Amino acid sequence: MATSVKADSGGSPASVPPSPAQHRRPSPSSLRSKIYHWDLKASPYAFIAPFFLCFAAFGLFPLIYTGWLSLHKVQLGAEGQAQWVGFENYAKLMGSEFFWHALVNTFTIGVISTVPQLLMALGLAHLLNSKLRGRAFLRIAVLTPYATSIAAATLVFAALFQTDYGLINSLLDVFGIGPVQWETSKWPAQIAISTIVTWRWTGYNALIYLAAMQAVPNDLYEAAALDGASRWRQFISVTIPSIRPTILFTIIVSTIGATQLFGEPMLYGGNVGISGGSGGQYQTLSLLLYQTGWTNNNLGRASAIAWVMLLILLLIGAIQVITARVNRKKLGG
Amino acid sequence: MTTQLPVAPATRRSRFALGAGDQRKAGPIAYVLLIVAALVSLFPLYWNLVAASNSGARVQQAPAPLLPGSHLLDNLSVAWNEVHMGTALVNTTVVASVVSLSTVLFATLAGFAFAKLRFKGRNLLLGLVVATMTVPPQLTVIPLYQIVTDLHWTDTLQAVIMPSLVAAFGVFFMRQFLVEALPVELVEAARMDGANSLRIIWHIVFPIARPAMAVLGMLTFVQSWNDFFWPFIVLTDNGTPTLQVSLAGLGAGNHTVDSAIVLAGALISTVPLLLVFAFLGKHIVGGITAGAVKS
Amino acid sequence: MRISGNSHRSARRTALASAAGLAAISLLTSACSASDDDGGSSSAGGKITLHVGTFNAFGFDNVKGAKLYAEYEKSHPNIKIVEDNVQDGQQYWDTLKLRMSRNSGLADIQAIEIGYIAEATGPTMADKWTNLADNPHVGDFVDWKEKQATTTDGKTIAFGTDAGPMAICYNKDLFKKAGLPTERDAVAKLWTGDWSKFLDVAADYKKSAPAGTAFTDSASGLFNAVLSSQPEQYSDSSGKLIYDTSPGVKTAWDLAAKAAQNGYSAKLRQFDKPGTWAAGFKNNKFATVACPSWMAGLVRDNAGPANKGKWDIALPPQNGSWGGSFLGVPKSGKHVKEATELAAFLTSAASQAKNFAVTGNIPSTKAGLADPAVKNSKMDFFGDTPVGEIYTTIAAGIKPVPIGANDGQVKTFLTDNGILDIETRGTSPEKAWGNVKKLVDDKITQ
Repeated sequence: MATSVKADSGGSPASVPPSPAQHRRPSPSSLRSKIYHWDLKASPYAFIAPFFLCFAAFGLFPLIYTGWLSLHKVQLGAEGQAQWVGFENYAKLMGSEFFWHALVNTFTIGVISTVPQLLMALGLAHLLNSKLRGRAFLRIAVLTPYATSIAAATLVFAALFQTDYGLINSLLDVFGIGPVQWETSKWPAQIAISTIVTWRWTGYNALIYLAAMQAVPNDLYEAAALDGASRWRQFISVTIPSIRPTILFTIIVSTIGATQLFGEPMLYGGNVGISGGSGGQYQTLSLLLYQTGWTNNNLGRASAIAWVMLLILLLIGAIQVITARVNRKKLGG
Repeated sequence: MTTQLPVAPATRRSRFALGAGDQRKAGPIAYVLLIVAALVSLFPLYWNLVAASNSGARVQQAPAPLLPGSHLLDNLSVAWNEVHMGTALVNTTVVASVVSLSTVLFATLAGFAFAKLRFKGRNLLLGLVVATMTVPPQLTVIPLYQIVTDLHWTDTLQAVIMPSLVAAFGVFFMRQFLVEALPVELVEAARMDGANSLRIIWHIVFPIARPAMAVLGMLTFVQSWNDFFWPFIVLTDNGTPTLQVSLAGLGAGNHTVDSAIVLAGALISTVPLLLVFAFLGKHIVGGITAGAVKS
Repeated sequence: MRISGNSHRSARRTALASAAGLAAISLLTSACSASDDDGGSSSAGGKITLHVGTFNAFGFDNVKGAKLYAEYEKSHPNIKIVEDNVQDGQQYWDTLKLRMSRNSGLADIQAIEIGYIAEATGPTMADKWTNLADNPHVGDFVDWKEKQATTTDGKTIAFGTDAGPMAICYNKDLFKKAGLPTERDAVAKLWTGDWSKFLDVAADYKKSAPAGTAFTDSASGLFNAVLSSQPEQYSDSSGKLIYDTSPGVKTAWDLAAKAAQNGYSAKLRQFDKPGTWAAGFKNNKFATVACPSWMAGLVRDNAGPANKGKWDIALPPQNGSWGGSFLGVPKSGKHVKEATELAAFLTSAASQAKNFAVTGNIPSTKAGLADPAVKNSKMDFFGDTPVGEIYTTIAAGIKPVPIGANDGQVKTFLTDNGILDIETRGTSPEKAWGNVKKLVDDKITQ
């Protein structure tokens, strides 16, 4: 069907969409027209309604309820006896060094796992986006980590990173690098956890980038090639700008994922997973939340952590939007 | 915030208009890099097989085994019989199928509305969608559990399905795709021809969104398949287990865990997904390749 | 406008039809399962199904265990028993807390690990369990066991399953190589009466230790062992936390910290997932391990047949108990009476003796401990060691200790964030103690 559509759409750019409401059909008195107008007005809401109906019950309610809990002193299992404390939970968080440690850990693990992950995914997508023998196999191969459950993946990596006998330390030993303490030392532990995250998600992001790259018009490359741009140059000046919304999407999703990082550090740490290692060296905000709410039964404080996480993400989002705007202005967009 | 995502630069063509990406042949370096990436991706899976085919004692003994052993069938059959894997497999298939179908359907509808239709409160609502993605699931399970128990849904599949019928991620995903991929003139033209919204959805949005729908469907399927925490809370392994819930009951000994059995179970749970990848993956990835352009 | 070709349309129809089909199937399945009872138990055709929620392995089951379910079903033809098992105790407990809070999704009988018994008897949970204080079966247990499951106002919320009387398992080979006695009475004499003598032996061992070995597996294990024998631990008799002034905690902390700092421990983490600790048994990396009765089975399984005859069990410096579990009956269950009867059966002296024969779990009932089948038992792996006699003797000598609702959390901070930090990360004991105090002050609200 695309052939006919292609003709219809011509080559006109899809920039800012003009409002559909600007188009008015002739013969405004007919019933059909009334239906048409009603349809025009109501359809957006009809399209989002199924989503928002489910969403209100299973997404929005928990969000608001959590906010309500965060203003109370309340134990898990005794929500009925919640006691109003105002912003005390937040104040206590701000004064808690464990919270700040977890915040910093979340940030560092987030950077170590997200940045290389997305860069590698971009490169991988670029490589996969050329004519290749065994392309289907390679594409599926890089996607297999995503199919592996966190539990299985973490079990495997915990064995690989095992300090005394693990494959990775044996390998490093060959190069004369002494045994790295992959769990007890802070940075090695954070790198090991980031490795699990990166391993699981790189192929996934590569697939999403690949989908976007497939849609970049070939003539853009041809034009660039005519201008004498190298392949690398083309990647930077054609591919990257062309898939910018997709990149932004993956950055947002990965940032959220990094902020909520939970399963990998918890399972990696085994029985000290929830406290993020004996010294809390890799305790993330989600782990702290879990420890506070479930292990220590302090549901009010745990809810406050959730809302702080939300506010942090909103802040990151705002910064991203502002940078994007500034960049666009710089580019003269 | 994120509602104001940068719109594609004006010089860009619509993804729909033309192009099949960079269509040149890969050089030898590309092959080397790709093969390394494939090996790195596959190694832990291979090791999963190694562990599942050795004895539990061997797996927990240093140095870790690197070659498959002879216990694969034994371990698989113990794993299969120890927990309710058969039921779990059926349940998980049902849950993952329903969840991904409904997620894709509703996300496409809402994503289209957010991407191309103007209506009051659009930015606010989209902001809300993205904001909800940020709430950590470790906490939302508590209010969710209250809802589910009030509805008397514990130990039923709908307790797992209902909260996942829609996904904020999916809406955001489809919105981002359609912003780029769907030329607004197409919608305009259809409107001019008197097409109602349903026709537009059916004849324009769905065909164009198909590759993204396929990707979202697959991602949702995998995610739902591997989901553990929420199903674990609302289901018991003897009621209506999903695979991940079943796996939680695996390998328990008297104060010990048999890793080989656990990993054999993990293998059983991963293989169906790999089969889906093997059969549909080609189709889906192929769909992306050909999808918008040639079909 | 012409938008779509026919072939695509039909392909989409097929897809849509299959989607609808799947949705229908799912609705059907959920509709069917929706009719199940909330409590997870149901009575179909006059037959009552009782669910038993467990973690790890309890040895009741009909496959690997003592077939107690089958036995009970035979004598009670109207009862059917289903066990819901979760391997990970932490996951089990966290889920149970949420389910208890809503009285939903609970099994008719729920197992409770000793580490969580104080929480289960605490203010938020105590009233959700059936009070068993008036059940005559309560009198069957050794008194310290049921005291642990009794609230401050006298409600008993669970029956005891096994007990964890603690001895010391030691590697005779390594002891011999280090010039220490190997005969179990002589070994016990080295440290009898005082844990600090245990560290003196550690110092002796270290002087002539075989290369690559340590005296004990982990400092946290030592901490747990020492603490378990102290008359006062984390809380006083009113349930108030006194860990920072408790002489018991101080003794255990000082000894464990000393062991960690002096290199008496192999710095292993017990029960770690990659199995380094387990491998330590196989490769003879340490000479002793604090050995509650359930640990004896682990020594056997981890060390493997190749090390048969190398290990023995000696009496500890002081008697103590580490581990053991309970069975409670949630009040909200549909068949509380039947469930209570089943719980009493599963924890009866006769059942505990049968369980012991299969799993080696030491009974917590007086009659079970006196049962000749338990008392005179041996384990093939330990040769002629009178395993049953050692453990039943220790179990009889244990004294009840007051417990508080936050004990489990404080213990986690002390071992996982305190002792382990000294041991594996080289933190000084003073700093580690400060960290623990900060953790308790920050995270535990009393």
